[in-house]
Amino acid sequence: MKKFFGNKLAILVFTLPTLIIFSLMVFYPITQVFYKSLFKWNGLGSGSFIAFDNFLRLFDDKLFFLSNKNGFIFAAIITVFQLLMATVLAIAVSTLKMKGRNFFRIAYFIPVVLSVTVVCQLWLSIYNSDYGLLNRFFETIGLDYRQNWLADRKHAIYAIAIVNAWQWMGYQFALILAGIKSIPTSFYEAAQIDGATPVQAHMKITMPLLKETYKFCLLISVTGGIKAFTEMFIMTSGGPGTSSYTLTYMMYSSAFRSNEFGYGLAAAAILVLECLMAILVINFVFKSEPTVGGE
Amino acid sequence: MKKLTALLLIFTLLLFSVVGCSSDNSKTEETTAAAVTTAETQPESTEAEMVTLKIYAQYSDDDTKIPYDYAVVELAKDYPNVKLELDIQAQDDGVKLQTYAATGNLPDIFQVGLSQIETFKESGNIMILDDAAKSTGFLDRAVPSASNIIYNEDGHIYAFPYAGNELVLWYYNKALFEQYNVKVPETYEELLTAINTFNENDIIPMSIFAKEKWITTAMYDVLATRFDSDGIAKLDAGKGKASDEAYAKAAETLNELVKAGMFADGATNTNYDQAASLFYEGKAAMFLNGQWEIQAATDKLGENADWMWYPVMPGYENNKFALSGGGAPGGYAVNPKSEHKELAAEVAAYISEKYCEAKYMYRGNPILAVKVNESIKPETPFPAMMEKLDNELSNITSTTKFAWGLGNPLFKVAIEDQSQFLMTEDYTPAEFIEELDKVIERMNQ
Repeated sequence: MKKFFGNKLAILVFTLPTLIIFSLMVFYPITQVFYKSLFKWNGLGSGSFIAFDNFLRLFDDKLFFLSNKNGFIFAAIITVFQLLMATVLAIAVSTLKMKGRNFFRIAYFIPVVLSVTVVCQLWLSIYNSDYGLLNRFFETIGLDYRQNWLADRKHAIYAIAIVNAWQWMGYQFALILAGIKSIPTSFYEAAQIDGATPVQAHMKITMPLLKETYKFCLLISVTGGIKAFTEMFIMTSGGPGTSSYTLTYMMYSSAFRSNEFGYGLAAAAILVLECLMAILVINFVFKSEPTVGGE
Repeated sequence: MKKLTALLLIFTLLLFSVVGCSSDNSKTEETTAAAVTTAETQPESTEAEMVTLKIYAQYSDDDTKIPYDYAVVELAKDYPNVKLELDIQAQDDGVKLQTYAATGNLPDIFQVGLSQIETFKESGNIMILDDAAKSTGFLDRAVPSASNIIYNEDGHIYAFPYAGNELVLWYYNKALFEQYNVKVPETYEELLTAINTFNENDIIPMSIFAKEKWITTAMYDVLATRFDSDGIAKLDAGKGKASDEAYAKAAETLNELVKAGMFADGATNTNYDQAASLFYEGKAAMFLNGQWEIQAATDKLGENADWMWYPVMPGYENNKFALSGGGAPGGYAVNPKSEHKELAAEVAAYISEKYCEAKYMYRGNPILAVKVNESIKPETPFPAMMEKLDNELSNITSTTKFAWGLGNPLFKVAIEDQSQFLMTEDYTPAEFIEELDKVIERMNQ
């Protein structure tokens, strides 16, 4: 191994293509986002340099704060729902005594492979205020809880978040299940001999050993929530009014509807910073204590 | 065996990927076959003479497919050496067209609205068509009343309009009004009475596809014209504020109507198909849409379909004949960097005229941008509603603009978002006014 890492040419040959592609496809566009956010620009031509005016305007815009709030609500809902449900279901499915484990393993993952458009159409029907499944369900059980799920300015964002949470829970489920599978059964057997209940065993063995998996799950759900766009684009077009705008939707609306690309890119720059901040915070929270073994 | 199967699967996947990613012209031609006309059947032309023009146009429903297909067939007769390659316009707020322009890939001919004309003008992505309009005779055949949709504010022509001035019509189901003994409302008071009566009988007073923000803009505009005949066009031009009496009253009225139950629950999440079916199935008494709905309404409801003048507000009787809608410059534009820009301009003018013919013949629409040859007759008599509109045209005192005809994109987005917000019960007119005034202030800076 030492010999391999000593070969600088090999390292260069193997990493350079990736670095070039990454720089061209990711790093360069991100720098352009920050650079162009300093311009008054309509997406065509060169625009005029206005320094930080777009950012000053952004911090004076109610819509910016509403979009951020919605992004965080969205992130919080999908994170809590997905991690909790995925954990519970993964533990259940990994239990040897459970019947039909294969069926459930596949069933929970099916929404992930569906197109977002299909899922949104499905939930549009479920949320329909007249004939939707949800309102019908409340009627059937005798509850007078008929709602306009997507037409309510205060609650539309919650309804949309549930759609994303439902669809991508299966992805987190697969990751956590794979993590559980990698834990040697001898750990659980030892815990059983020591008199631990299954809950205690999972709390003391499964959770700590899945720390890295949870970190990854948290990263995807938090950043995915902050930059949510597709569901609100398909289901509500950011509405009613602007009530389900997220920062990404605001960026889209500013750039492509108002032709204010500079302003839209300022929103995008903040979005990039928010995602980076979330990654840093999560990495800090999950920072591993150095162990005697060296890792 | 497993390895062999895996290898085979990978190979198949790669093969499909390669085939899928390859740019096979024959496939492109196949997908656009319905809309492509070639002169291959013309014996006198050869492949070498063929000119292919890329065109970006709407092609999604009868109102857009029928005129396009007709224009293509006619083009093949008069321009046998021209082949059109259709790129179907996406309903994406102009994102695709903007991206084409930004990357230097604009098609030779493209459909464009006013706000994009303004953007493309600044960046040199749209051709001035003044000369082509004269040389092709387009201007000679243009209807005088269509000058507002032909000429831009700067006096130039940037697009050939393929429709006339269109209006927002307030449709109603005569049978339902008769059944529940409701007078067709001419005043606001009568409108409120109608709303109450229909609600008491489980009929939705008005169905509206408020998921689309242009129709909520139209609804607000309809009410704004009750107080100020210029409607939202005045705000778009920066000549008024949302806090002005007329516009504030319009916002309050819309809020009152929402609270009175004029629209169905969850209207802001209702699409066109849902709203239209409520109206056509007799579950809704009134329906708001452009005049292009006349044909469909006649087909579905027959003699029971009609349109009414918008109800009048007390003290504003002079605005009775002010209508929402109207035209704005837009239509088929030409890419100035096109290899065949002169020919493209000629073809754009030709297609626009043929659209008008098709709308006259097959869509029951006599209100067009250009005069149709007298020898051309409509396939079926014009619907009674269209005859009525044609007869009443001279009574119309003013028109405003559709959302897509608004010149300032900042205002367009703001009024679309805010008017949809007003369709929800708990959004106050004060919030509407505050948000809109902020944008208008910014527009005027």
